[in-house]
Amino acid sequence: MNGDFVFRQQFEIKGGDFSRGGEVSCEVKNLLKEFGLPAASVRRAAIASYEAEMNVIMYADHGFLDFSVTPLEIRIVVEDNGPGIADIELAMNEGYSTATPEMRELGFGAGMGLSNIKKNTDRFEITSEVGKGARLSMIIRAEERRA
Amino acid sequence: MTPKSRHPLSINEESCVGCVHCLVNCPTKAIRIKNGKARLINELCIDCGECIRFCPHGAIDSQTTSFSDLSAFQYKVAIPTTVLYGQFDYNVRPNDILFALRRIGFDQVYELSSICELTNAALEEYLQDNPKPRPLIASTCPVVVRLIQRRFPSLCEHIVPIEPPREIAAKILRANLSRVLKIPPTDIGIIHITPCPAKMVSINFPASLEKSYLDGAISIRDIYKPICQVLRRNEDEAILRHLFPETLLSGIGIGTALSGGETRSLKNHRTIAVSGIQDTIRILNQAEIGLLKDLDLLECMVCPDGCVGGPLVVENRFLAKSRILGLVSALGDRTVVDNADINLLFHKDFLSFQHPVKPLEMPPLDADPGQAIQKANRRNDLNKRLPQKDCGACGAPDCRTLADDIVRGEAVLADCPFMSKEGK
Repeated sequence: MNGDFVFRQQFEIKGGDFSRGGEVSCEVKNLLKEFGLPAASVRRAAIASYEAEMNVIMYADHGFLDFSVTPLEIRIVVEDNGPGIADIELAMNEGYSTATPEMRELGFGAGMGLSNIKKNTDRFEITSEVGKGARLSMIIRAEERRA
Repeated sequence: MTPKSRHPLSINEESCVGCVHCLVNCPTKAIRIKNGKARLINELCIDCGECIRFCPHGAIDSQTTSFSDLSAFQYKVAIPTTVLYGQFDYNVRPNDILFALRRIGFDQVYELSSICELTNAALEEYLQDNPKPRPLIASTCPVVVRLIQRRFPSLCEHIVPIEPPREIAAKILRANLSRVLKIPPTDIGIIHITPCPAKMVSINFPASLEKSYLDGAISIRDIYKPICQVLRRNEDEAILRHLFPETLLSGIGIGTALSGGETRSLKNHRTIAVSGIQDTIRILNQAEIGLLKDLDLLECMVCPDGCVGGPLVVENRFLAKSRILGLVSALGDRTVVDNADINLLFHKDFLSFQHPVKPLEMPPLDADPGQAIQKANRRNDLNKRLPQKDCGACGAPDCRTLADDIVRGEAVLADCPFMSKEGK
């Protein structure tokens, strides 16, 4: 990471607060636009952070999104105190979901979240301890769309 | 005609007292108070007219066409918004209003509801012919188009490229009147009667046409009184009411200026209708990150409840809406537009944009991303020092915007009265 110019900001995410869902990732998107990073990277980062933010809102009481940017890459780490993920490999499968019927009624829980993050990031790692929480770490390279 | 300034909104320095009402309510943070008077930042203003609603001193002028400007034309045509039908008492019928416009000096009055039905039908055709992208976004509200160009540039290609009814009507008139009447085109004035100032900017600086087909727009506010004056006399002249009975009102078209008016007739598509500036921004944020791909059409109108809530109307929007809905149900779903016409005009591109709506991206904090990041860090540091009271006393709408102005070189920390106290 080019250490000369780093922007860092941490955002709180309140679990269960669906009415404010998407506000953090919207802020992330607007900041990236202000940095003049390529539109494709901004879009990918916005989608990935939205999915991660909604996961916190759906499953945890509390979490935060740690956002750091250099002219070369965007790093997003989302940590929460939710139930954790027992089988990470299984959770990465499209369509796999532990969402409750209530969440599904709200239009969430299609089991696309984590796979959507993977699709929109250049590096994606999950660490989790059942009963304690999850930590999603992702990197999006800030580069022009490949021709 | 009025001079062509970039925005139809301007601040009347004599009436402006430099309070914070417009400042804090501007959805794009396009106003600052400098030297005790409000100032508009041209690049940020989207012409929504929220400032007109919130100014307690009537200090926001909107440069719409004035009645006296019409004398420049030998032959004057009015194209009133269907919102006009909701501005008068329940027993004043659309034909009374259209006739009143003739009596106050228009040589011809073009009733818009049938064209609204036509463009609605064209919209349905377009949705069927174009399965991608989704959601498509209706383009009738010029503020929504301007908002997308500036704040959501990646959504420009989602805008349905069909001109709004007022432009189509003017195009039809423009193409034929001069020939039929044997008058030079420049002597014919085609004037929209508008509920909002944004129509003026879409006439002076169209986003999807080389040149607008309209010559100007008079606000409902300005034309209300002249209409009332002749409506009253009209009561004794029952015969005159029946002088021009040919108008074909469309029940499908007449409600399109209400929120949901365009989506109502699209029975085979998934649609939503959003109104109000804050909700419009919220939904466009969702569309931008691809959350609304299941929707076929997104109808956004920045005024509450649609054009009936425009900043230049007279009647409160609830009454106006009730009257227009009364007309919608009285007229029913009978179509007045021939399907063959839709096919001819739509597929011959008569209704289409001349060119796509182009993004007008806001400049980043700095042309160099490294410098932009540095500035954002500085902005965060400054913001932490500011009192977070968002009082507006510095002239910016909130502390964060002051910090932003400082890193852009437009303001200094001492503009904050709390900081200057701290310094002493």
